Amino acid sequence: MSYTRTKIADLIDGRIDQDTLHQMLSMPKDAERFATYIDILQERLPWKDRIILPLGPKLYIVQRQDTKEWKTRCECGHDFCDWKENWKLHALINVRDTPQKLEQIYPRLMAPTPSWQVLREYFCPECGTLHDVEAPTPWYPVIHDFEPDIDTFYRDWLGMPVPERAVVA
Amino acid sequence: MNLAVRNLRSVQVLGIDAGGTMTDTFFVDANGEFVVGKAQSTPENEAIGLINSSRDGLSLWNMELGEALSQLNTGVYSGTAMLNRVVQRKGLKCGLIVNAGMEDFHRMGRAVQSHLGYAYEDRIHLNTHRYDPPLVPRHLTRGVVERVDMFGTVVIPLREDTARRAAQELIAQDVEGIVISLLHSYKNSSHERRVRDIVIEEVARSGKTIPVFASADYYPVRKESHRTNTTILEGYAAEPSRQTLKKISDAFKEQGTKFDFRVMATHGGTISWKAKELARTIVSGPIGGVIGAKYLGEVLGYNNIACSDIGGTSFDVALITQGELTIKNDPDMARLVLSLPLVAMDSVGAGAGSFIRLDPYTKAIKLGPDSAGYRVGVCWADSGIETVTISDCHMVLGYLNPDNFLGGAIKLDRQRSVDAIKKQVADPLGLSVEDAAAGVIELLDSDLRDYLRAMISGKGYSPASFVCFSYGGAGPVHTYGYTEGLGFEDVIVPAWAAGFSAFGCAAADFEYRYDKSLDINLAPDAPDVDRAKAAAVLQEAWDELTRNVLEEFRLNGYEADKVTLQPGYRMQYRGQLNDLEIESPIKSASTAEDWNAMVDAYNATYGRVYSESARSPELGYSVTGAIMRGTVPIQKPKIPVDTLHGDTPPEEAKIGTRKFYRKKRWVDAQLYKMEALLPGNRVTGPAIIESDATTFVVPDGFETFLDGHRLFHLKEV
Repeated sequence: MSYTRTKIADLIDGRIDQDTLHQMLSMPKDAERFATYIDILQERLPWKDRIILPLGPKLYIVQRQDTKEWKTRCECGHDFCDWKENWKLHALINVRDTPQKLEQIYPRLMAPTPSWQVLREYFCPECGTLHDVEAPTPWYPVIHDFEPDIDTFYRDWLGMPVPERAVVA
Repeated sequence: MNLAVRNLRSVQVLGIDAGGTMTDTFFVDANGEFVVGKAQSTPENEAIGLINSSRDGLSLWNMELGEALSQLNTGVYSGTAMLNRVVQRKGLKCGLIVNAGMEDFHRMGRAVQSHLGYAYEDRIHLNTHRYDPPLVPRHLTRGVVERVDMFGTVVIPLREDTARRAAQELIAQDVEGIVISLLHSYKNSSHERRVRDIVIEEVARSGKTIPVFASADYYPVRKESHRTNTTILEGYAAEPSRQTLKKISDAFKEQGTKFDFRVMATHGGTISWKAKELARTIVSGPIGGVIGAKYLGEVLGYNNIACSDIGGTSFDVALITQGELTIKNDPDMARLVLSLPLVAMDSVGAGAGSFIRLDPYTKAIKLGPDSAGYRVGVCWADSGIETVTISDCHMVLGYLNPDNFLGGAIKLDRQRSVDAIKKQVADPLGLSVEDAAAGVIELLDSDLRDYLRAMISGKGYSPASFVCFSYGGAGPVHTYGYTEGLGFEDVIVPAWAAGFSAFGCAAADFEYRYDKSLDINLAPDAPDVDRAKAAAVLQEAWDELTRNVLEEFRLNGYEADKVTLQPGYRMQYRGQLNDLEIESPIKSASTAEDWNAMVDAYNATYGRVYSESARSPELGYSVTGAIMRGTVPIQKPKIPVDTLHGDTPPEEAKIGTRKFYRKKRWVDAQLYKMEALLPGNRVTGPAIIESDATTFVVPDGFETFLDGHRLFHLKEV
């Protein structure tokens, strides 16, 4: 069982009909899915460095062509940091922690009370893309969302060789 | 000499099953003999497909269409057009009037609507959940200012100007129907009916013709979402069907019929296409079989029946206990919660067309939940199907005749099945092709058997007190498999298994049913005066429903004196969650004695359904709903009564042998032509009894006996 490249492209663009989508979600994943998916994403990007893992709609872990280092990168080409680090610490951060700042996006009385909960918005410093929003209690440290075990994922789940990775000095 | 000698047959009943691809007709003559006609469906004008299908069926009797149709006493229609219209959300453009401030409840829907109809795996897989677009979009929804509370008390009076404005705005948007559903209108309908009258006035003033549907006139029952969805369906989906049914009825009248077609309805009766409440004909096919089994049971004296139906996509089970069906009050269909009375049925998504796949990680065999449906499987080269199905296993194992599927209408290729099962199932599992296929069939049979057992024992019964009826195109192929070892009192396969649903439709009463929600609560020690008062409240509801029922019959030309009325009620012990539907022992209620009689009837039913020791009269009683059913007598198909011949089937019934695989060995199964077997014949397995539309498998260790009513009795020997 596998889907055509066009079908996967439609899936990425959210242009797929409900019945097919439901079937794709319910069935065991086709073996080639990840490779096809990455291939389509890669082709749409302005740079050539290989995508190792997508982290968000416009955020990737990539392998730099020149140094083979793995970086967390914005779609625009801006490298945040090494893939093991928390990229959010290298982003531009906007904290909404007063009623005034919250009421810019919520009607009055429908926003959280800022002494209980704040919003933190993480932007790419180069192109201004909003990559993530957190809604934690005010004192909570910046959340490191995801520490993927890429080696195991490639080796045991995908059955693909783990791409080359230069060890950071 | 009488001209009728050419054809002495007198055709009595016509049953129609208009599916998405094929239209089946089922003609029964005065002797109970029948033919099945088939033709391609013609969705643009269903009448054409119906007439073609009728010609096809009648040609087997060498009869002309006009000749047969003019003899008919009655005809019953069931079809999937209305359901498809709702599933595809292709109904009429309707406007909706609700309480001001509540305009979003219809599009928000009930949470369960996000995963109705899903397989269990998907119900717990949140990513698959989704909401369909609402039947009425937000921009065609208007609110009126009013409020009635749950006790029926007016909290905010109706602001009539808001109703008038709502009506004008919807009319200006050229809606094709206006639906009104206000909070708690089942309890106090005065505001809703007033809004209805205002809307009707405004429609008249606009010069347009727009039908108006108030929920209180149709479904005066609790649960806003259910009531609103159902009332919307009347305008959205039922009105187009009314036009279709009228066209069909007219086309048949041109050909000589003298009656109005009736339609199978969810409550298990048939109603006319002129009925006010037409939305309840949304599903009809599977109910037909249950009604057919109930009718056979009544005539032949079976009180407890387990009805099982396997078609291409699902396995449906319904129980008839003490001759009574169970009615479900808030069923769901097409991913909508509804308030229609529906014959209760349980389904699993496993049929003859179910796909078979191996889990790529665990190598476990997975059946369904999707299926090839009418496209059979890989064995049909033209189907375009690549994933193997249950039918492919049947092909491999010799259950089915590749040259006589649907009477040879399509040619199947066994080798295609063998190759596909080898590649997709057998090789990955390291099994031989036949063992892989047999394993799949065993898995399906044990799934179905467990399901059937769980359903019967879950209601506190033992299979030993039930007769199992097996029908549907693929039912008789599996009958032995899903009944083996359960110890049913008897297992019956009607010779007309494939047309059994159509037969059941024809056997259904001409019956209207109206329901209304009530909240009567009485303590166990309530004084007589309170009991009399409760009886009076129930009587008032019955009076209202009686008016509705008689009005429906009047539309069909039956006066009140022709109608037999049967009141009913839903009762529960106070504080319990589930009520039971009780057929009332009294025709009208006014005194404390009447109330006590109803309580006694409830206690008796409760003891039968659950157990006597589970009764809780110390809690007192609640009546949650009133029911009124009205019937008029109609002609039903006769059940054939033939004289018995000997045990041994005639030689001409034998049509060769076929290799048949079961329990790790190939045997030569004797093939019989079903139509050539005579009442009284006994067939011992391994044998396969074939007819055009169904195949009845009798493996070794089983024996079947054909009785005088053309019912096969299957037993283990």
